[in-house]
Amino acid sequence: MSTKKKILLIDDDNDFLMATKIILESGGYEVFLAEDGKSGVEMVESVSPDLTITDMMMETWGEGFTVVSKIRSVEAGKDMPLIMLSGVDLQGPYQSFEPPDESPKVDMVLNKPVKADDLLKHVKRLLR
Amino acid sequence: MVEKTNKGLILVIDDEESIRDGCRQTLEKSGYDVVTAENGEEGVRIAREIQPDVAFVDLKMPSICGIEIIDVLSKDISDIVLIVITGYASIVSAVDSMKRGAYDYLPKPFTPDQLRAVAMRGFDHRNLKIETRKLREEKEQMEKNFITFVSHEMRSPLLIVEQYLEALRTVAGGCLDKDANDIIERCNKRIHGLKDLVEHWLDISHIESGIFTPEKKPVDIPGIIMRSVEDMTPLYHIRELSMETDISEDIPEVTGDEESLVRVLANIMGNAAKYTPSGGKVSIRARHDEYYVSISISDTGTGIPKEKLPFIFEPFYRVKGKEEKQRGSGLGLNFCKKIMEAHGGKIEVTSQVGEGTTFVLELPK
Repeated sequence: MSTKKKILLIDDDNDFLMATKIILESGGYEVFLAEDGKSGVEMVESVSPDLTITDMMMETWGEGFTVVSKIRSVEAGKDMPLIMLSGVDLQGPYQSFEPPDESPKVDMVLNKPVKADDLLKHVKRLLR
Repeated sequence: MVEKTNKGLILVIDDEESIRDGCRQTLEKSGYDVVTAENGEEGVRIAREIQPDVAFVDLKMPSICGIEIIDVLSKDISDIVLIVITGYASIVSAVDSMKRGAYDYLPKPFTPDQLRAVAMRGFDHRNLKIETRKLREEKEQMEKNFITFVSHEMRSPLLIVEQYLEALRTVAGGCLDKDANDIIERCNKRIHGLKDLVEHWLDISHIESGIFTPEKKPVDIPGIIMRSVEDMTPLYHIRELSMETDISEDIPEVTGDEESLVRVLANIMGNAAKYTPSGGKVSIRARHDEYYVSISISDTGTGIPKEKLPFIFEPFYRVKGKEEKQRGSGLGLNFCKKIMEAHGGKIEVTSQVGEGTTFVLELPK
């Protein structure tokens, strides 16, 4: 039986999944991929990952937030470490996007593109 | 209450009964729905209620005069076409009313044919007006959608390429020789350049299309200068440049958008770093007078030739010279200018080749 920690990666861009999978695998993790929020939530239940990384904006802007709350509502995802990835700079005044009132229950938000070192460092810390 | 049909609805406001009846008969025969009012107050009330397409307004009436009605109706009723009926064949009063929003005038006495012709022109004008407005709205919407589209479609692939390069460096970095790693680094730099270009272009498009309006909040000038200085410190360190700040203690807050002002400062300070040889110095000074707070950023760099100064705020203009290898989006200073203007301020530049350049940002107090 594999002792590798399992990471689920949810993003609607297949290339982003591939590139990030390579980085995570280099850190010795077993990586599972989901290309949309719905299958992502299903995989949280079927795979029981040790950590999940999900995109903030998928098909619809803010879908990531819905995905997060759904993940948090299933048993396997209740206390699992969650990283949200953002492709936009939410600090800037140029985004019309309004995050939902209730902040998503994620452990951290990283900006895309993610530096390999940063990603591996944070994943390691959250899995400790 | 008159039901709005597709026949075209005309309101005639005139205190002379014979004119009202005459207009009604003629215009109804031509297929229009006609409502009449015998004085200004009644006219305005009915107009607000029935929202006519065209209104004939007598210029000379007791109490509210025609000019006032023109003022009120042109503001209150969108797309209405106003035609003035003028008893005293005075061109002056007709011209005056047209300046205030009337489309045409009809001097008394007029024949049914003249009335019909003017009404028909009025409706043509109205249709054109509506069509123009719709097209303009459609164009604005398309521009906004285009910006959103570009923001996603152009940034996404760049981000993916960056992520792949990061993955490549992770899996193969150790096995690659220096040349191969250099190539990855160069790819990264060019992608960054393209990303900057997209970002600047988006910022400018947002300003131009009116999507971006600066936040109006109190901004602490010394605070944003220190923020920018902090952001720039690593770059200045690498380029072996020193930075000096001289900020008056009593600088008042200005009203504006902190984030975009920080970006303006970062842009100017970044440029200063780009065009100043190592060992040079960049000085940032903040002062204020009765009306303005000004921030000046002076470098000891290569300077900009006098004949090129007037163009540096134009999009994609580059000062070519020895520094040709310096790459930028070509939109940075244009962005700064637009942001300063959106704040009711301005940006100015003075420069001496071989000695340095000074940018001055002025913001109203």
